[in-house]
Amino acid sequence: MSEPSTTALPADRTRRSAVRIDDRMLSIGTVLLLGLLPIWIGSFWLYSISLLLAQGIAILSVSFLIRYSGEVSIGHNFFVATGAYTIALLQNGPNVPFLGGVVVATAVSAAVGLLFAWPSRTLSGVYLSVVTLALGLCVPEVLLYWSEVTGGFEGLFVESRIVGGVASGLQQYYVALAALCIATFVAHRFRGSRLGLMILTARDHPHAAAAFGMTSGSARLSAFAVSAAIAGFGGSILGFTTSMVSPNSFIFWNSVTLLVGAVVSLYSTRIYGVVVGAAFVTLVPQLLSNYGQFILIIYGLALLGVIIVFNVTVPAIVRRVRRRRNHRV
Amino acid sequence: MLPVIWQGIVTGCLYSLGALGLVMIFKSSKMVNFAHGALAGYGAFSVHALTAGGAGWPWLAAVAAALLGAIAISVLVYGLIAELLQRAATTATIATLGIGLIAQGMILWQYGSNIFRLDLPLPHLSFSILGMALTAYDVAVLSATFLVVVALFLVIERTRLGVAFRAVSTDPFAARVCGLSISRVHLFSWVTSSMLGVIAALLIVPTTFLSSTTVTTFMLQAFAAAVIGGFDSLPGSAIGGILVGVSCNLFSFYVAPELLNTFLLTFMLASLSFFPGGILSQRLGSRV
Repeated sequence: MSEPSTTALPADRTRRSAVRIDDRMLSIGTVLLLGLLPIWIGSFWLYSISLLLAQGIAILSVSFLIRYSGEVSIGHNFFVATGAYTIALLQNGPNVPFLGGVVVATAVSAAVGLLFAWPSRTLSGVYLSVVTLALGLCVPEVLLYWSEVTGGFEGLFVESRIVGGVASGLQQYYVALAALCIATFVAHRFRGSRLGLMILTARDHPHAAAAFGMTSGSARLSAFAVSAAIAGFGGSILGFTTSMVSPNSFIFWNSVTLLVGAVVSLYSTRIYGVVVGAAFVTLVPQLLSNYGQFILIIYGLALLGVIIVFNVTVPAIVRRVRRRRNHRV
Repeated sequence: MLPVIWQGIVTGCLYSLGALGLVMIFKSSKMVNFAHGALAGYGAFSVHALTAGGAGWPWLAAVAAALLGAIAISVLVYGLIAELLQRAATTATIATLGIGLIAQGMILWQYGSNIFRLDLPLPHLSFSILGMALTAYDVAVLSATFLVVVALFLVIERTRLGVAFRAVSTDPFAARVCGLSISRVHLFSWVTSSMLGVIAALLIVPTTFLSSTTVTTFMLQAFAAAVIGGFDSLPGSAIGGILVGVSCNLFSFYVAPELLNTFLLTFMLASLSFFPGGILSQRLGSRV
């Protein structure tokens, strides 16, 4: 996990192909299972899982950032809120249709992300991480201060039907599922894209990348903008599935939740990994709703435990097994 | 306006103390400790529990116990993180967030979400200079900050440990080649930082009240101070703290107190644009 399998160098084909089929099967299986799920579950769980899928997109954006730039963000609720409020404002004001709203929300979030990361382009990533803390904290107060635009505490209503005749619960579910598929597909294929390869080169071989015009500063800016775009996309879908946006859904705590989800999913860009991470952060609070204070401890232990197990324990075991095998030979 | 600035300077001193702790850790181990606020808050809560909250210890004994506890916890935390640090600072940073969550959860579990008062044992004095009220609290904060900064300066400038700390923060590889124990220097910075955190927490709490989030929110200003002063400069962060204190006070007095976090965000972004690397950094070459 500390060294994500994404690297700019061509992978070892023979070893990878076997793994890749496995991964693809798992992804397709997850999508099929999620697609058929509404047959068996009631409306409460349908709603919860729609939220989970929309949340998954936001988690994916945090994983993406950690993977491609090695930066931790605890302010991604800002970009999720940007996406959600953009689509809500577009629907309530000029009455833009849903798909158009999603596109604009994604673009606006990317632009805001770029603008936010701009001052730290020549600095070490530490500054960016710390400033995201303030970014995450300022969301509710900004939304409440300009309440004549944002609707204040009550928030804004978002239309949750695209086509007539189908129950809105099902529409929300399938839109969220389709959006998560698109987001994971894009995030996964990003690795082989021109921009993705350049960002990864800038991470692994900064000087070589700089010679091709990609300094580590511009790599960080690009990774941050793409991540913010994914978060804004997730935000617009989240607004659609909850059919309303209000400051309460974008408090700082949500960023922490996103980070916990990203770590639990092992920064996965695959749909099954993202779903596992999202399921952890949505189901734990639901199952433990009577023990509010333990949620913090459980999240903390999850962060610490997953990180220590996958960075310290697993490598140690691998090393020991390898040593023993060499010994025998 | 003068009293507002003066109050800003007093609270700014506390932000400096918080920021100094963050910078100590960053200088030696190149990572940000997001658990700083929560752990300091835990220290303040244990002082409360040991004095007014039931045990009835004398204040000084409680503070000493809290400082010892903070040292023990920071050693434990460093022990958990040490191996992560050798791999990537990012994972270590996320791990500190986890530790912060655990500390916050422990506070909520043990003390609930109640609000407590935790005052310093000071006489009620106040004098007036140039139309400003100067209370015993202000004097205590200023003198405590002064003492701590002088002590820190002496340790870093004069002792062998301080020399080792400077060597590790300048060039960890060369320091290791010279036979310095990196982990001992790291431990020194973590322990010092946790003590600075507890002292800052104890001094900030009398201005408001003690709740599970007081100290963590206070630490945002400390983070801002460290960003503005430069994460690799101790004097810079001390000055940054006072700048943040004064400007925050002016902003919330004259503009809008409910937008304080937004103000801090813009202040940090502006400062990064105009003084990348902190207000005291000489612009020497690239810092990539």
